[in-house]
Amino acid sequence: MAPTSRTILICSGKGGVGKTTLTANLGIALARQGQKTVVLDADFGLRNLDLLLGLENRIVYTAQEVLAQTCRLEQALVRHKQEPNLALLPAGNPRMLEWLKPEDMQSIVSMLQKQFDYVLIDCPAGIEDGFKNAAAAAREAIVITTPEVSAVRDADRVIGLLNTRGVSPVQLVLNRVRPKMMANQEMLAVDDVTDILALPLLGLVLEDEQVIVSTNRGEPLTLNGGGSPAARAYANIARRLQGEDVPLIDPAKEGRGLRAKVRRLMQKKIF
Amino acid sequence: MPAPLFEARSQEDVTYRLRLPPFLERDWQEALPDLLANCPPGPVDLDCGTWPLNVRDLQHLIDTLEREGLSINGLEACRSETVISANALGLQARLRMEHLQIKPVADAAAGLRLHQGTLRSGDHVNAQGHLLLVGDVNPGARVSAAGDVLVWGRLRGVAHAGCLGNSEAKIVALQLRPLQLRIADCVARGPDEQPQPGFAEQARIVNGEIVIEAAQPLPPIVPATERDDSLA
Repeated sequence: MAPTSRTILICSGKGGVGKTTLTANLGIALARQGQKTVVLDADFGLRNLDLLLGLENRIVYTAQEVLAQTCRLEQALVRHKQEPNLALLPAGNPRMLEWLKPEDMQSIVSMLQKQFDYVLIDCPAGIEDGFKNAAAAAREAIVITTPEVSAVRDADRVIGLLNTRGVSPVQLVLNRVRPKMMANQEMLAVDDVTDILALPLLGLVLEDEQVIVSTNRGEPLTLNGGGSPAARAYANIARRLQGEDVPLIDPAKEGRGLRAKVRRLMQKKIF
Repeated sequence: MPAPLFEARSQEDVTYRLRLPPFLERDWQEALPDLLANCPPGPVDLDCGTWPLNVRDLQHLIDTLEREGLSINGLEACRSETVISANALGLQARLRMEHLQIKPVADAAAGLRLHQGTLRSGDHVNAQGHLLLVGDVNPGARVSAAGDVLVWGRLRGVAHAGCLGNSEAKIVALQLRPLQLRIADCVARGPDEQPQPGFAEQARIVNGEIVIEAAQPLPPIVPATERDDSLA
């Protein structure tokens, strides 16, 4: 096992808050910064991680064949063409859910820990078996939430469950932040969220339309060297994970400076 | 089968309360009219206790009571099926939790339980006596105690004091911003206004309703071994 291999579960409780997007972008960002990274899609029912990475049509073998020992791990791993430090272990088919046990996830992860510095597990939404199996294999966790009452409530529940399972440390990423709405008090403030969840804030990601474009194209934002705010935020999260002290952006100040205005102008289509 | 108890609710109340006996016999339908013969006619609040009554049975019971001159004002039951049947017949019905008998419980005997740490959404802590929680109670979490609920932190979830029926129980918090407060069998929504920071508040029952006021110093909670019954 690589001496400092880290296994991080990326979960949220609520669906649709940005787990898979975070996993894909964080994977690319870590790979760019020199870490051998593997991303594991633990959502066997509705798998999306391969779509976001644009690797869908290169999948031959999945986690299921690896467990059944029908193929070697090396054959199932899909290496990213542009970021060779990043690999994807695709999710098996939904019927695996009937027999998959926590021990199976643990054995997959321990195989991956031998060759990768970072193992990122993309957790399914909810707190049922999918979450329980994935959590059994993880050492640390990143809980992602949006500044919305329901998402925060679900995140609170998930954090409680992670605590009882001894997953530590658990860090928080606040996603889809809209500074204008926060300033008008139409959206929960960062302090409101951290007040309830009582976790250290690993990162803050602004709402960014480019995420939709990147998802549809299968090219994570961090792949293109990050011009958009979200891409920069993901890259910063990767740096903080490695121990670097990067100051958090202040939503109140974001988008005000001249540089930001020019950037917005460049991105707006004029024709 | 013992006669149904007939008791006056209070001096000013015109409606009387008819409490059905604790068990249900198969031929209750025939035996009932004789037992009700002694009850004076007029409106009654019917306490069905643990009787499970479907719509037909309940209608029959109502008809029998009406034949004796008793009209049903409202209905209380411990079984949800009875409440549902009553609602279906258009009656005002209330579900009473079976263990919430309105009698004081010697909760001081169980002393004080201490819980440290914040309760997250979905968690539930219960105590036989008083409960002191050092930490927050997040929205979606529940604390309950047979005695008082004391939160040394922010109460943002649901708190239930006196959960075995003690309506003298209190809920005290450094910051009282609950989703819901319950004392014995009273329920109240939390206040909408933000509390003043640094202002501890308590909730207790005054005149049958839960009221929120500034926190008062607590009387000493006597541990079970030192309790002197002669002082009661």
